[in-house]
Amino acid sequence: MASEARLSHTAALILQAVDAGFVYGFSIMEMTGLPSGTVYPAMRRLERDELIRSQWERQSIADAAQRPARKYYKLTTLGKTTLDASRKRYPLLERLIPSEEPRSV
Amino acid sequence: MTLPWEPVLRAFHRGLLRGASLLVPGKQRAEWSQEWQSELWYVCRECTPAGGISWSGEREATAFCLGAYQDASYLRRHAWQERPPLAAWRGSPAQCILLLFAVLAASYGAALLLPGVRTERHLSGYSAYAGLVLIQDARDQSHGSPTISPQQFRAWTGSRQRFFDRFAFYRVTQETVSPSLAGQSSWGVARASSNLFALLDLPLRCTAPAGGVDGNLPRVVLSDAVWKSQFNGNPNVAGRVVNVGSRKAKIAGVAPEGSWRLPGKVDAWLLEPKSEMASDGMGYVVAHLTSSGKSEMWAPRVQITAYKPDDSEDDLLGVSLDEGMPPPWAVFLFAVLLAFLAVPATTSVSMGDYSVNSQKLPRSRKLCRWGFLSAKIALLLPIAYFASLDLAYSCMTVYSPSSMYIHWASSFSICLFGLRWALQDQQQRCPVCLRLVVHPARVGLASRTFLAWNGTELMCLGGHTLLHIPGLPTSWFSTQRWLYLDPSWGFLFPGSSAGTKEEMATGFSPH
Repeated sequence: MASEARLSHTAALILQAVDAGFVYGFSIMEMTGLPSGTVYPAMRRLERDELIRSQWERQSIADAAQRPARKYYKLTTLGKTTLDASRKRYPLLERLIPSEEPRSV
Repeated sequence: MTLPWEPVLRAFHRGLLRGASLLVPGKQRAEWSQEWQSELWYVCRECTPAGGISWSGEREATAFCLGAYQDASYLRRHAWQERPPLAAWRGSPAQCILLLFAVLAASYGAALLLPGVRTERHLSGYSAYAGLVLIQDARDQSHGSPTISPQQFRAWTGSRQRFFDRFAFYRVTQETVSPSLAGQSSWGVARASSNLFALLDLPLRCTAPAGGVDGNLPRVVLSDAVWKSQFNGNPNVAGRVVNVGSRKAKIAGVAPEGSWRLPGKVDAWLLEPKSEMASDGMGYVVAHLTSSGKSEMWAPRVQITAYKPDDSEDDLLGVSLDEGMPPPWAVFLFAVLLAFLAVPATTSVSMGDYSVNSQKLPRSRKLCRWGFLSAKIALLLPIAYFASLDLAYSCMTVYSPSSMYIHWASSFSICLFGLRWALQDQQQRCPVCLRLVVHPARVGLASRTFLAWNGTELMCLGGHTLLHIPGLPTSWFSTQRWLYLDPSWGFLFPGSSAGTKEEMATGFSPH
């Protein structure tokens, strides 16, 4: 798979973070320790390769909580497959960011 | 340090993000700006205490904002890598303008290389031989052979004339000239009265600075060909002494190429005072008309009667040297005027705007459309000027009546066909993105329809418009029409924002 072959450690880390329930930009930055200038381009590449997809939160939900709407990221089927392959390649990935129940959004 | 700093820092961060968003390609700017602004709110909430500020938290927020510049840089690079292929460049307005610039550069470059055009530039502003007459014996109808003696010339200059105020004489002889120590060569030398060039009002090149030419020696003016062949085009040639026959003479300058249009093939002009002129042989006389002489000069050739001292008459012929040719730019302007008048008779000037159409273009788009047409015409005019000059001077080195006719005809043709092309090209361009419409499709059959529409339909690749050209113009559909597409057509044009308000208002298609 072309995307699997191209997946860098950073990209794998981000995929793992998204899978672990860190589903928006800042939380991924917090969890991975990567700066914003790295995280967002990487996420854009992952989105372009259809490994993740993004969706804006409904404005009504954000208005009710008196906060701006956020853009959430989610793994696609291809992303899940690629992440599984990456876990074999980077065994420490799951220990660095253990999977957990998705945070409430 | 408390509350007063908070709004300042927030504005600072928003400003940073705004700056970063300006670096993002236009199509993605709003989306990214929104995401950054949203994320900044969460960063501030996580890192700074409620109702106050902490420097570490603000550093975090600032780092986040600075990271946005890296994001923008990536997006800009990505957009460049993903730029449309060459196929999308075809038919774009930029391609059209660049092509016109290339043609203009080529025609201008060719004009610079042609010797005739260079001469024309040197002689710009010079009205060729205006008010001058070549006087010759009436028995010699062609003004090719010399018929006036130096005595006649002296007699005329010595007496008061009603129709002429100045005379110049020249006689062409073959002389041995030694332009250098190396050797001698035979030149056609015009032994002329010293006022010849002043009378002709010919601007000399490579002249010596004031006082540079010794007044004791006669002056010699070189032709352009001799200057180049014998003196290697040396610009400091003035002041050098050459032997012309048995006389020494100092070079006074160089006559511009193509400026000599009088009888006789001349390589150099030896300007001698009247007192030193030889009395033998026949020559040519050039005379300048007075105002009353000009009024009498009603035809290109007029009969002149000169009275000798013994009251006998000389029948002479005055041949006007004033070619009466307008300068090239005047010829070109006339051709342009005629071409503009002729265009509506040769092609439709309709742009296909249909008054019943419910969707109107915003003013900025209309201005762009008309600006593009104006730019094409503005580039066409200099192209026509230089290309027609190239044609006129391609086989002639001087601006003669023949070259004037070629210049006029080619200017008119290039302008007319150029304007036709500009209009027809404009009619085939989408009014929104100015790209050429493509994929013509025949709709209907003229033989099978009576009241239904039939013709050709073309589409804009950006998904903005369809162009309908009637196959058979009718009273209800006589010229082409643009159909503006609404967003419901978007599925046909993936990746484009077909018919969206933003696209209509702001810009070009994503292709």
